[in-house]
Amino acid sequence: MRTSFRLLLGLVLAAPAMSYGQASTLRDGRIAYVMTDLFWSVYQTEDGCEECPRGFNDGPREQFEALFPNHAALDVTRTQLHQEVLTWLPDTEPDGFEFLEAEGPYAYGLNLDGEVSDNDFQHPDGTPGIDNQVYRAVACIIGFRGPDGVEYIFQNKAIIDEPYNRMMIELSDVDDLVNDDAVQVHLYRGRDELLKDATGEGALPGGTQRVDRRWGESLIRHTTGQIVDGVLITEPMPDMVMPWMNLRVPSIQLFRDARFRLDLTPTGARGLLAAYADVDTWYYQLIRNDSTHHLSNGQISGISLYRALRRLADAYPDPETGAPTAISTALDVKMTQVFVLDEPSAPTATAE
Amino acid sequence: MLPQSVTAACLSLLTLGAIAEDLREAWREVPMPAGIQVVLTELEGPVFADASGRTLYQWPQHKLRNGYSGEAPGVPACYDEVVTVTTGLMSPYPAGIPLPELDSRSSCADLWPPVLADEFAEPLGDWSLVERRDGTRQWAYDEQPLYTSVRDQEPGDTFGGSGRKVDGDSPAIRVPVGPPALLPPGFAVKTTSLGRMITTDRNYAVYALDGEGPGNILCRGACLDRWTPLLAPGLAIAQGDWTIVERAPGQRQWAFHGSPVYTHRLDTHPWSQQGSDEAGWRNVFTQHAPAPPQSFTEQATLAGTVLATAEGKTIYVYRCGEDSQDQLACDHPQDSQVYRLAICGGGDAQRCQERWPYVPAVPGTSGTSRSWRPQWIDPMTGRFTSADSPGAAFVWTYRDRPVYTYDLDRQAGDVHGAGIGEWRGKRNGLAAFWLRDDYMQGIE
Repeated sequence: MRTSFRLLLGLVLAAPAMSYGQASTLRDGRIAYVMTDLFWSVYQTEDGCEECPRGFNDGPREQFEALFPNHAALDVTRTQLHQEVLTWLPDTEPDGFEFLEAEGPYAYGLNLDGEVSDNDFQHPDGTPGIDNQVYRAVACIIGFRGPDGVEYIFQNKAIIDEPYNRMMIELSDVDDLVNDDAVQVHLYRGRDELLKDATGEGALPGGTQRVDRRWGESLIRHTTGQIVDGVLITEPMPDMVMPWMNLRVPSIQLFRDARFRLDLTPTGARGLLAAYADVDTWYYQLIRNDSTHHLSNGQISGISLYRALRRLADAYPDPETGAPTAISTALDVKMTQVFVLDEPSAPTATAE
Repeated sequence: MLPQSVTAACLSLLTLGAIAEDLREAWREVPMPAGIQVVLTELEGPVFADASGRTLYQWPQHKLRNGYSGEAPGVPACYDEVVTVTTGLMSPYPAGIPLPELDSRSSCADLWPPVLADEFAEPLGDWSLVERRDGTRQWAYDEQPLYTSVRDQEPGDTFGGSGRKVDGDSPAIRVPVGPPALLPPGFAVKTTSLGRMITTDRNYAVYALDGEGPGNILCRGACLDRWTPLLAPGLAIAQGDWTIVERAPGQRQWAFHGSPVYTHRLDTHPWSQQGSDEAGWRNVFTQHAPAPPQSFTEQATLAGTVLATAEGKTIYVYRCGEDSQDQLACDHPQDSQVYRLAICGGGDAQRCQERWPYVPAVPGTSGTSRSWRPQWIDPMTGRFTSADSPGAAFVWTYRDRPVYTYDLDRQAGDVHGAGIGEWRGKRNGLAAFWLRDDYMQGIE
């Protein structure tokens, strides 16, 4: 009886600072979220008239027609395989096609290097110094634009559909989900299906995820952060591996100096993941999952895009050549609250 | 027969090697025409073969992204005309592009001789006769015309094709055909990289628990929260390797080689091995795949376990099917090499060797099986050669095709080469050699 009274008293006293949901999901100073949406952040105006005033890039189908109008006179090695070679063994030589980059001053993202330079964008809220050169490369490719670009749809959908991509963050040492100047942040991969709504499409909060210590130990990261007015801002992680399988090819993105900026609620989190992405890893994650067929549906020429990524790369110069190996980027992230179950190992016996 | 504790489907290569010799898949007897026999193969279980022991194949119709290829039931489509242009099944590339090396290109029937019947042949059971364009009669099974493969050299070879699962991004491949496996109703068997895996007829993996047997049921109580016994109907009878144990009065459970069988409730996909992570539990196979070379290792990746070299580098196999109406394979050293050389090195054989090195075998090493054996390759042409040929390399082959590592895999467990090539590596590219995949739903 006394215990129940204390519990009730605690809840009443906590009520001004916590909603009911918060009280139920923030337990022992810990709360966790599982990723449900992730895609390259693209600032879009209607019909792209601000950021892509000259239109959109051609894809493999259009480039093939332009290059080989008389393809019936040339054999496979000089046509189809020629294009596949350039796709799979890309280089930085000009391909003869003009590549349309994003124009205009705005992009979403974060200031990764702490500087404001001519190459940076401005956030639509006025924040200067936004580092997001992936946006400059992909903004005028229709496959990367919402709501119906092929990559926008399927890379994002894979985050919720494929358990391989089931990344989570867990916050610990949380005193207050609105303002807390020091929290611990842990990244894990989960092992389980998501709790879904009646449509089978949307993720619901309150599910449980086992930490993947069977295959995902190498994905575990720790950093610190603070919560300011309900926004989690994490310290950069030197290297973060994001498992990202789209069409069942086990691939990754490799991020350097990765940091989250997330609006937190007791039931979810949404915001940005910003980092420097390894250029080659970025490119091969795309084309290993999506063949030239799939890329064509979004007018994505891997050949042209790789050259743009290399041209726009802005960090981590190669020690020998000095050429940047990484490119600044930002991704839109949505997460749903989950309870994390971290079993140290698989059950050792199940027999009675 | 080995003790049941040794038939574990654990991923120890040593274990695989030890049991590969001992388990053999049983099949259901079916009527067969004269001259047709059943041959037990290393990878595909029992298959039909001609009088010389050559495996029989079907070419089932297969839906690709841009259309169909393969044969409709009862309609042969593999003839001796040489196909000269692409057929447009490799979107986004158009049809009508001339195929490579036309001066030496084989016809479909050159590579896939039809299994012809003599003038006295009569249909028998599921065996029927279809008429070819020249009036000859060809044997068919389940109405699918039958062929042999010039890639098969000895009885039991299945180098021409495989019953592994493929999807719509893969070519229309040829599939070995055999008699039905001797299984109780509700069960199925599927070719995997580990062997012939027993599943339910909905493709969910079947497991057994070490130490269980008739009169000794260990999985009871809370264990049944995670494991579902596969129960036998009241009138079911034992046959072959399958028997029935009584869990409780009136409750009968199927057992394979004496071990009661279960499904794992936490398996997230078909053909799973997730249940084998629990102590004592193992997948069940009718027969195990031949052991890889002794020096090979297994490595954990983000998605499962791959076969790897002694240094831990992931092993890859090359897959290729042409964009031609006859969907001829282009993944064998005796096939055209232009596709492989394009993907691995932009047409440059030297660059291929740097990017996708062959896996060398120690000279004098002999193969562990027909499936795994070292052979001499000319790295500059990609063709088989002799030991005394200048520059010849002694390399490991699987299913008569070289295996590779990927230069950009820097550490054990990397699989950065998986999916490299056209159509995610399925039609002209490379696939990792998965021993267990927890995320690709058995497709790889």
